[in-house]
Amino acid sequence: MRLLRGPASAALLAALCIVQAGAADLATLMIGKPTDPDTLDPHVAQSNNSLTVTCKTYETLVRFAVVDGRATADVAPGLAQSWRVDPAGKVWDFTLAKQHRFSSGRFVDAAAVKFSFDRLLEIAKGPNEDYPAIASTEVLDEHTIRFTLAYPFAPFLASLASCAGEVVDPSVMSHAVDKDLGQGYLSAHSMGSGPYQVAEVEKGQQIVLEPNPYYFGAEPRIKRVVIKIIKEAAVRRLELEKGDLDLIEEVSPDQVDVLRGKPGIMVVDEPCFRQDYLSLNTKRPPLDHVLVRQALSYAVDYQGIINGVLLGKGKQMRGFIPEGFWGHDDRVMKYQYDPQRARALLAQAGAQHLKLSYLYAKADPTWETVGLVLQQNLADIGVTLDLREYAYSTMRDMVDRGDFDIAIGNYTPDFADPSQYLNYWVDSRLFGLAGNRAFYKNAEVDDLIRRAISLSDVGERTRLYQRAQSIAVAEAPYILLSQKNYDVAMRSNVHGYIYNPLLLQVFDFENMWKTP
Amino acid sequence: MSVTQSGESVAPAPPNPPGSGAARWGVDWRHVWYRLASSPLTVAGFVIVALVIAAMTLAPAIAPYDPNRLSLAVRLAAPSWHHVFGTDEVGRDLFSRVIWGSRASVVAGLVTVAISMSIGTCIGAVSGFLSGWVDTVIMRIMDVLLAFPSFILAMALAAALGPSLMNAILPIAIVRTPFYVRLARGQALTLRDRAYVRAAETFGSSSWHIVWRHILPNSMAPIIVQATLDIGLAILTVSALSFIGLGAQQPTAEWGAMVANGRAYFLDQWWYPMFPGLAILVTAIGFNLVGDGLREILDPRLRGR
Amino acid sequence: MSLLQILCRRLMLSILVVFGVLVVTFITSRLIPGDPARLMAGEHASQETVRHMRHVLGLDEPLPRQFAGYLARLARGDLGVSIRTERPVIEDLRRFFPATIELSIVALLFAVAAGLPLGVAAAVYRDGWIDQVVRTVSVAGISMPAFWLALLLLDFFYNWLGILPGTGRLDEGVAAPPFITGMFTVDALLAGQGRTMYSAVTHIALPAFTLGFVNLGIIMRQIRSAMIEVLQEDYIRTARAGGLSAARIVFGHALRNALIPSVTMLGLLFGDLLYGAVLTETIFAWPGMGNYVIQSIGFLDFPSIMGFALVASLAYVLLNLAVDLSYMMLDPQIREIG
Repeated sequence: MRLLRGPASAALLAALCIVQAGAADLATLMIGKPTDPDTLDPHVAQSNNSLTVTCKTYETLVRFAVVDGRATADVAPGLAQSWRVDPAGKVWDFTLAKQHRFSSGRFVDAAAVKFSFDRLLEIAKGPNEDYPAIASTEVLDEHTIRFTLAYPFAPFLASLASCAGEVVDPSVMSHAVDKDLGQGYLSAHSMGSGPYQVAEVEKGQQIVLEPNPYYFGAEPRIKRVVIKIIKEAAVRRLELEKGDLDLIEEVSPDQVDVLRGKPGIMVVDEPCFRQDYLSLNTKRPPLDHVLVRQALSYAVDYQGIINGVLLGKGKQMRGFIPEGFWGHDDRVMKYQYDPQRARALLAQAGAQHLKLSYLYAKADPTWETVGLVLQQNLADIGVTLDLREYAYSTMRDMVDRGDFDIAIGNYTPDFADPSQYLNYWVDSRLFGLAGNRAFYKNAEVDDLIRRAISLSDVGERTRLYQRAQSIAVAEAPYILLSQKNYDVAMRSNVHGYIYNPLLLQVFDFENMWKTP
Repeated sequence: MSVTQSGESVAPAPPNPPGSGAARWGVDWRHVWYRLASSPLTVAGFVIVALVIAAMTLAPAIAPYDPNRLSLAVRLAAPSWHHVFGTDEVGRDLFSRVIWGSRASVVAGLVTVAISMSIGTCIGAVSGFLSGWVDTVIMRIMDVLLAFPSFILAMALAAALGPSLMNAILPIAIVRTPFYVRLARGQALTLRDRAYVRAAETFGSSSWHIVWRHILPNSMAPIIVQATLDIGLAILTVSALSFIGLGAQQPTAEWGAMVANGRAYFLDQWWYPMFPGLAILVTAIGFNLVGDGLREILDPRLRGR
Repeated sequence: MSLLQILCRRLMLSILVVFGVLVVTFITSRLIPGDPARLMAGEHASQETVRHMRHVLGLDEPLPRQFAGYLARLARGDLGVSIRTERPVIEDLRRFFPATIELSIVALLFAVAAGLPLGVAAAVYRDGWIDQVVRTVSVAGISMPAFWLALLLLDFFYNWLGILPGTGRLDEGVAAPPFITGMFTVDALLAGQGRTMYSAVTHIALPAFTLGFVNLGIIMRQIRSAMIEVLQEDYIRTARAGGLSAARIVFGHALRNALIPSVTMLGLLFGDLLYGAVLTETIFAWPGMGNYVIQSIGFLDFPSIMGFALVASLAYVLLNLAVDLSYMMLDPQIREIG
């Protein structure tokens, strides 16, 4: 380019660039994300992508405990310092800690908690489904709040640690427009009691977080979090290597292997509960025939996908309840790659020359690759698979309406309870994107799971859930592909990150720091 | 996704030089051929085009692998004797895919130009010959088309009918048509006053007949030049649309789509986006050199010193 | 016909064209699948909410009514609200337009600054080595897939050599200069902020080069062929015979006459660059309108897409108008254009 002439100039430029990079702030954390969160309102946000911000700008009544530097699924005090439940399991009283304050300065009292939960349930855009049992919330006194449930809901306490239960400052109502309860405002601002607050939102470009001056805890060492939106995976990686970014998300399996070897870079590659699965639209022929679905389940080269697409960073699922959750059944049936059996089943079903479509979006880069492998796998048993790519929002819309044959999706649970799977994926009350994407209906399964969610005895619940799971797996409304690893890469001078498989894409900025 | 021409203007061809041999469409082709062969750049262009066409037609024979056959064990392999261009993320041989990709990319380019050329020329010739309000209306419609961002149209068609190569071809063809309309119209305006056209009119030939037999054949020279230059542009535009995701879909091998897929791997597997992109570049250069050569010869203003 | 009459006629025609564009983009936006009311109401909205949203967006009315409503809103400067960014589209455009304009201008300047002298040289020393180089480079330019070139340059200059930055308009930690034109390079210069200007210049280098490379080819070819044509004219031969120096001929007479048709090209090229920016901006994460549109396409955010189509078409039409008029004024022989 014209501006650069001769080696001397180039050297000068290089030196200047290095100087600039070196001067990067130790108190600023630069993060690279591929897409920006659609909303920062915790009562509206559905995807993990928003949690990076909301989990640090808001707080929940209880949080996941960290024991010996490792995250657990157990519950520890958050906004609430103690709680108790009545013997029937329907009335929960929480006593709030006194020092928590919102970024507006207002104290987090029981009235604020009541307001927040009322708001969540009224908005009803998805996060509220973590709390199906709440019948009413009552302010007993300034620091005590009572939840009365319509029926005993065993996972209630755990569910309060999920990000859907984040407490929003009632002052948000001063920004409410047209009865939206402040959704418009909170989609790009924060009004919470978390360690940080949103300083700046530039849609499609970046989000900047700064410390909440009223946060009850110690002042964080990271004084500025800049989340940059960089669509190109290769560019994100490049910037991490050059030190322009401190941490990058959405690291593909290929990049994980490459980055592991690089000096100055640390890779987090841990199993988690994020699953990829295929929904088979049981309402659409020929997929309404169970033999056809089973045939497809045997036609998939599960290990091939895990080795070739995930590069070994994942494992095949066994049943809906993942390994690591209580209730996981080691003996439930698991489909294996068996094309011969698949062909036999198809013949048995009398299904010839099937043509099916595979719905996906570019949102997850592995989805297309999986589609290609599936195409080949299915071609091997005589089924033609047509790959259809759409914009992510269109795809979700089509899934919701049942306008597809086979659709890929991924899922992460909000808290460690089997109801997160079985009461969503196979409940005939939740047809559509929210839960039951296969539009699967089985009366016995419905009965089992609805009973299980209202009991408190773990043994009994396990029995019911596992029975429901066995029935559902045998009927193959879903093809369970893999439980993927979670991959994140950061510079090795970034310390303090504690991985929690239930809080993907959440980084405890207030406990992190950088060394030179 | 350029909407302009390649930067050259084309003048109408003169009538047959006296004493020349057989001439079709007002052009002495033997002379043209001779001139073409004497310019090294043009010859290079022809060679490239010939190679590309050979790749297109002989793809099944010369591609060493099935372009759609997955082989996860050898994914992202570097170029080697087994895989001359390396493999992609599902182990498909890139050399085979580039060869087969010529079918998608080049045919798309050719079809696009064929459509816009034939439709545009007919409309333009008729419009120029008839003049009057027909002419005005047609030219205004062409103006709207010219102002139109082609990829918006591509996106709409892609969304309405589902993204595919065919649905990328149509909007590009539609948006290029006005150029041919203008060219043909200009020619028709000039030729309208020629003696033989007047004669035909006096003899009572219908307008269509005149346009078909007299006007069109004698207008072809600049149109052919434009078309040849357009092929390169069409190939570029089709691959650009595929790059955004509005054109060829998986698993179809198409150069632009391959560059898009290879984008994520360009740091360590440089070969993946490199070769398909190179194919686009070289093919477009080939067609453009041929078009340039033709223009040098058929455009009298550039002849001689 | 007087100039004024021509002006009026062209203006009317331009308005007609803009109207045509509006109709086509409007119909286009209604063809897109995916229910915008659904998208705006959210995934969990009840049927009632979706119905209400549809009413609010005016989607339950017959098409002609919707179009009339659209035109009325346009007259007020209301281009709708983007589904993705939840801001008025016109505000989004205002935010991202300057970045694209800056990129286009720098790209065009580069293409002209390099293309003009090279094109002239190629014409003057026809068939010499410089002519061959120019012809090769310009053919490469017009045959170049911009997205591929962008990747290549990014890899080479950012990854391999590390001497130019990768994405964005400024280095992290460098604040934007005070707003005067919206173009960081110019504003930083005017404000006397050396470091900011340096940052802005290094960031715009690669995208502008990529974008400009194609037009470099076009300009070189255009200038070369125009110059060749002019150099063959009789009056040039006369001047040569009369003993005028070559330099005098080229710069004094030939160039001026060769530039006239080239001016029209500039206008069209600039309009082109706005569209070409779409691909280049994505690779370099340049926060301009091209990047914005690509993201909007991914979201099926039809208010933004239509807003962009409208503004871009308008810009193109106006440019065409200006170019035609200047051409007519510069060359009085060409007054009759259909």
